[in-house]
Amino acid sequence: MSDSTDAVTPEAAAGELRLRVGAFEGPLDLLLHLCRTEEIDLAALPVRTITDQYLAHLEAMEFRDLETAGAYLVMAATLIYLKSKLLVPPDETDEQLDDEALLLKQELEERLREYARVKVQGTWLAQREAEQALIWGRSSSTLPTLEDVPLEDLSVHWLERSLKRLIEEQQRLRPRQIEPNPPSVLERMTEILTLLRDTWSLLFSSMAGGERRRSEVVVSLLAVLELCRQGKIRTQQTELFGDIVIERRTPDPEEGVALLGPSEDTPSAESS
Amino acid sequence: MPNPADVVEAMLFASDVPLEAERIREVLDLENAAAARSLVEELIARYEAEPRGLAIVEVGGGYRMVTRPELAPWLVRLARARTKVRLSRPALETLAIIAYKQPVSRPELDAVRGVNSEAVLDNLMERRLVRIGGRKEAPGRPFLYETTREFLVAFGLRDLNDLPKVEGELVIPDLAAEAAATAEAHGQAETEQDPGPGGADLPPRG
Repeated sequence: MSDSTDAVTPEAAAGELRLRVGAFEGPLDLLLHLCRTEEIDLAALPVRTITDQYLAHLEAMEFRDLETAGAYLVMAATLIYLKSKLLVPPDETDEQLDDEALLLKQELEERLREYARVKVQGTWLAQREAEQALIWGRSSSTLPTLEDVPLEDLSVHWLERSLKRLIEEQQRLRPRQIEPNPPSVLERMTEILTLLRDTWSLLFSSMAGGERRRSEVVVSLLAVLELCRQGKIRTQQTELFGDIVIERRTPDPEEGVALLGPSEDTPSAESS
Repeated sequence: MPNPADVVEAMLFASDVPLEAERIREVLDLENAAAARSLVEELIARYEAEPRGLAIVEVGGGYRMVTRPELAPWLVRLARARTKVRLSRPALETLAIIAYKQPVSRPELDAVRGVNSEAVLDNLMERRLVRIGGRKEAPGRPFLYETTREFLVAFGLRDLNDLPKVEGELVIPDLAAEAAATAEAHGQAETEQDPGPGGADLPPRG
């Protein structure tokens, strides 16, 4: 046991770092995180401190795509611009420009405040969602539909209404049919781990998605493979083409879920 | 003639969408929607007087018969692996922006979040929590997004007014409670519309 602790510690530390960096949703999220850990009032943003910390975080980050990187860099540029304004002593002739910088700073503060509000609202919605997940209602009804009207009562208006309804129905269905958007592997992984919190094992067929879309099955399979690789689950298939049985592996499932959880819960060992 | 409240009960059982008071009025040929509402109230009182597996809730502009939350564990067992897929944090935040600012265009969404919202938005659209409500009369005529009735049902809201007001607080969420406590101690709390206990930003809906 004693040597295993040694082996685990550096790995855990590295994983923690990656988690913290990857968990930000965007530049505003990162800024808000910095303000939170430093207990900074959003109404009086200390530009010097926040810029330095932001840039420090930026260096540690890896970007998935250019667009995300761009969003972070625009914020960095704004912060550096503001900081440069602070370093230069204000000059009488320069007043116009300082107003500009002040305006920019106020705008940034307002955006941060708005984003903080959105976070609160999002948290509230999450709480509601969790509450609502506990109740079930009828999802489909066998009530006869409007088509069953007696023929003699028909009029052109009915036809028009039916047609309109048909078209609306088509429009409503269209995005689903044309561009099916499979859930992400990460989402499916979280889902599997969540399911495994309540039960010891589950069948692959039961979680491959109700619609039996090929993409759903692929995503599920990838999720299962990834979880296997991470050692979070164990799988077995007793016969050829048989159903795959998925079992929880870690004695402490909370650990696994925390990996994919929101960043609020993540430890924020501070680097200043 | 059966008891009208029994009819309402049957209608609630048979319906797969929230049943509006107006619809109940229409079916039962009642005087007005208020009469329909009082029938539902009667039914709700009956359900509360003698607790059973079902409850009647007001959601998405109508009434709905649902299972009681405390029975969820058994239903999960009944359904085996069927649980509801939860939304991710980015999705919830995007949904929050749309819910509060609707109708809202994607550029506006992106501006608030500071990142591209396209993928998240597609996800919300596919789950029918959000729909396109029109186009904005602005350069490029971007689509305007709004929440759907499914959104109200999924989050157990009667209407959009059920969303809590989050007003210009200058404190960061996690520090809110702390800051409120300090402010209280110093007696310099900015008086807001409702001095909630413990400074919680969002009371669970009343």
